[in-house]
Amino acid sequence: MLTNAVVAPPSLCSGHNSQLSNQLLFPYKLNYGLEGARRKQKVSPLKAGFWDSIRSGFLKNNATQVIEPPSTLPEEEEPLPQEIVLVERTQPDGTLEQVIFSSGGDVDVYDLQALCDKVGWPRRPLSKVAAALKNSYMVATLHSIRKSPEREGNDQKELIGMARATSDHAFNATIWDVLVDPGYQGQGLGKALVEQLIRALLQRDIGNITLFADSQVVDFYRNLGFEPDPEGIKGMFWYPRY
Amino acid sequence: MAIGVSALSLTSIYTQISATESKTHIRKRVRPPIFISTNPSHVNPCDLRALFTSSNFSCHRFPNLDPDGRVEPIDIDKLHIALSHSCVVVSVFCKPQFSTGDGPKDEMTSSKSRFAPGELFERAIPVTESNGQLVGFGRAVSDCGLTASIYDVVVIPSLQGVGIGRMIVQRIIRMLTSRGIFDIAALCSAKQRLFFKACGFGDDILGSTSMMYTRTASSRNGDQMVKRAGRLLLLAPSSREPFSSSLEDGSH
Repeated sequence: MLTNAVVAPPSLCSGHNSQLSNQLLFPYKLNYGLEGARRKQKVSPLKAGFWDSIRSGFLKNNATQVIEPPSTLPEEEEPLPQEIVLVERTQPDGTLEQVIFSSGGDVDVYDLQALCDKVGWPRRPLSKVAAALKNSYMVATLHSIRKSPEREGNDQKELIGMARATSDHAFNATIWDVLVDPGYQGQGLGKALVEQLIRALLQRDIGNITLFADSQVVDFYRNLGFEPDPEGIKGMFWYPRY
Repeated sequence: MAIGVSALSLTSIYTQISATESKTHIRKRVRPPIFISTNPSHVNPCDLRALFTSSNFSCHRFPNLDPDGRVEPIDIDKLHIALSHSCVVVSVFCKPQFSTGDGPKDEMTSSKSRFAPGELFERAIPVTESNGQLVGFGRAVSDCGLTASIYDVVVIPSLQGVGIGRMIVQRIIRMLTSRGIFDIAALCSAKQRLFFKACGFGDDILGSTSMMYTRTASSRNGDQMVKRAGRLLLLAPSSREPFSSSLEDGSH
């Protein structure tokens, strides 16, 4: 469960001018408008404890967020953006590195393209990628934040992982584009990405969760609870015939 | 497309030749007049639910079946939400007299009724979404950029086998490709595989394996989230602890 200790220190959000706690709590504002008006600030009664704990930690910043009342149509709630520090380690030179999971969808398409290059994926038109991210049900990201004592307030933030899911918000969802920087693989980060996606989908009662796995990662997903061709259900793709 | 059309006419010529040779009437099934719409507002969720129920179709991949093997009716609110988040919605309507009965009328029966006065008047009025019955449906969910998935392609059993399903899928594909989306997937059961193959779908050329989340809860565990999806009780992964020591075992 999320506690006060979860919240990343203030310097996480350097480089942006808006109020600290706004940023942390509603990271969609960092999205270059990718998420647009789709994301609303909503608080569900179940999450009151979390928000209260965050607020109490930041009251001294005089942050006044506008919290909308809980939605009357529970099924219309967007998944709550949240940031979780997954890993924290201190390098020998005093640099603190954190790996932050976020479901707010903060992805710069150029950063994503660089990451896709690193894992050896073919390039895709950036405008299409941006549209795909904007219209995905959920985009989960992993960022590595390096804080150095000398570079006060100037942290290095790097996109090191991403996974996204498309959905009709009711029955079906498909997970696409799961990738983790090769330098950060093998630490359970990919597992964390996919697990959080599944959790967010199931929370909304979206029960048909599908993905198309390359042969070398079938076992990875099997360990996460996925079954290949269950009861003969298979994915087929369209091939234009001329 | 041209090749497809001439293949059809070859088939009908063959049918006629074999009919005269064997001196039996090959009853070729004809499609009644239909109206196909891509306007999502033409679909009434209640009618859609009725279509699904009469076709024994469920939106859940692993539906709950009653002792007769029938699926339970789908939740209307969820259906409404699913429709509103589908980027392509195709619906097919037909005059009610065609959708009842044992099956699509064959050529002989249809031609007999052609000259009845009442029928002529009826046929003069084109079928629309307001005077017709919903007999076919299909939708696609997309990120409107890279990929799309086709779901819930259903045709009422009495009108299956006359190409309505194929029309629905082709219309969906046309809508998607006109928006520049060519990566179109369809998750199909073993029964539906032949249908989609005939619509131009095949196994992934890159050899990917389709997988679904089926981890179920064998016993109710107090602090773990379980969600019902049809007949499955899915077990959600536990909420990730911040800076969890569980990550340090490095296994996955």
